[in-house]
Amino acid sequence: MSRLGPTYTLAAGAVLAVVLGAASLKSSPAIETASADQNVTTAATPSAPEPTPIPAPEPSETAAPDTTPKKVDYAGVVQGNGGLVALAIRNGRAVAYFCDGHIESWLKGKAENNTLVLEGKNALITAALGGGKAQGKIEFQGHKWRFVAPVVKRPSGLYRATALVRGARIVGGWIKLPTGQTVGKIESGNAGESAPYFDGGPVDWYGVTLQPQTPDTFIDGDWSAL
Amino acid sequence: MSDIRTSPHHAPRTSAATLLVPLLAGGLVAVALGVYGKMHTPTGYAIGVAGFSGPLAMKAWLTTAAALLAVFQLVTALAMWGKIPLQGEWLPSAHRWSGRIAFILTVPVAFHCLYSLGAQFDTPRVIIHSLLGCFFYGVFTAKMLALPKRDAPGWTLPVLGGLAFTALIGLWLTSAYWFFTTFGIKF
Repeated sequence: MSRLGPTYTLAAGAVLAVVLGAASLKSSPAIETASADQNVTTAATPSAPEPTPIPAPEPSETAAPDTTPKKVDYAGVVQGNGGLVALAIRNGRAVAYFCDGHIESWLKGKAENNTLVLEGKNALITAALGGGKAQGKIEFQGHKWRFVAPVVKRPSGLYRATALVRGARIVGGWIKLPTGQTVGKIESGNAGESAPYFDGGPVDWYGVTLQPQTPDTFIDGDWSAL
Repeated sequence: MSDIRTSPHHAPRTSAATLLVPLLAGGLVAVALGVYGKMHTPTGYAIGVAGFSGPLAMKAWLTTAAALLAVFQLVTALAMWGKIPLQGEWLPSAHRWSGRIAFILTVPVAFHCLYSLGAQFDTPRVIIHSLLGCFFYGVFTAKMLALPKRDAPGWTLPVLGGLAFTALIGLWLTSAYWFFTTFGIKF
């Protein structure tokens, strides 16, 4: 046996990994460039506590009526990322989903004084409501992106489907825009994939039937798993 | 390999110190994979092997093929060490090539796991899988680097090979077995 044989074996594995990495980077430029751009812009404006949304100071003291919509859905494009974000408010409770087909995040929070604050795993969304849109920023695993999400009506907006199959929890999320643009992802056991296209009916995923539902149905459900 | 150890030039003069570099290198590989898996932002996407209905199915089947080859590895290794009554000139080369193929089959799987998903520590299955994955490549690297060391102690290859085999079977149980028992046999 050549004494170098084992080294060649290791090298072949390393080369294969590098090739896969190069091919993946090449075929998925959207995220990489988006996050790179974002890093540049955030680095360029370091200090200055972002004069972003979140106005809503303390008018609550004056007992002004809270004009936050009781029931509204927003959906729009995440600038600099190209993914979509959808937000839903039901009586002060708020949910949001951010997804670009690759990365995703489910967030939950409150809507008060026309301000939204939602938290999820490694993610935070803050937004100001008004003028028929939600305007704010999403922070996700060290990235920051802005978005402007107009009010949308069914069938546009946010959908979520959950299933429990032999102990495995499956969670699918979809966002549909009035323009027809749609994105979705299905996650199970910490492994996710882009979701099959969703047109209102059930979605099949490896033989599991998922029925996407609107926030009316799932906003009060169990969110612990994600 | 037994033929090396019975070589007349090398009497029983063995030293565990010769394993220092292979073990250090293996440790570095394992730690590096873990750090990469934890630190980088998972992309949620990676190039994989085409022909399956999705990345999960692709990984489940490649891992299953690698695990079957690993069982073959165990059998041929036992035969080469005279532990089971199976003999043949073909054994060493069958062992080497089945090992190489198994290793190469795991690379697209591990790449997808690390690049797309990253190391995660949420549920027992995923914790064990993440740790075993890093450990497997570490111990495999150590074994490959230890193979040419003729003065390594006699237990070197059985221990490193056994650990690699155990880790790979553990990886299969925490991934492909989970997939098949959850979703059924899906391609």
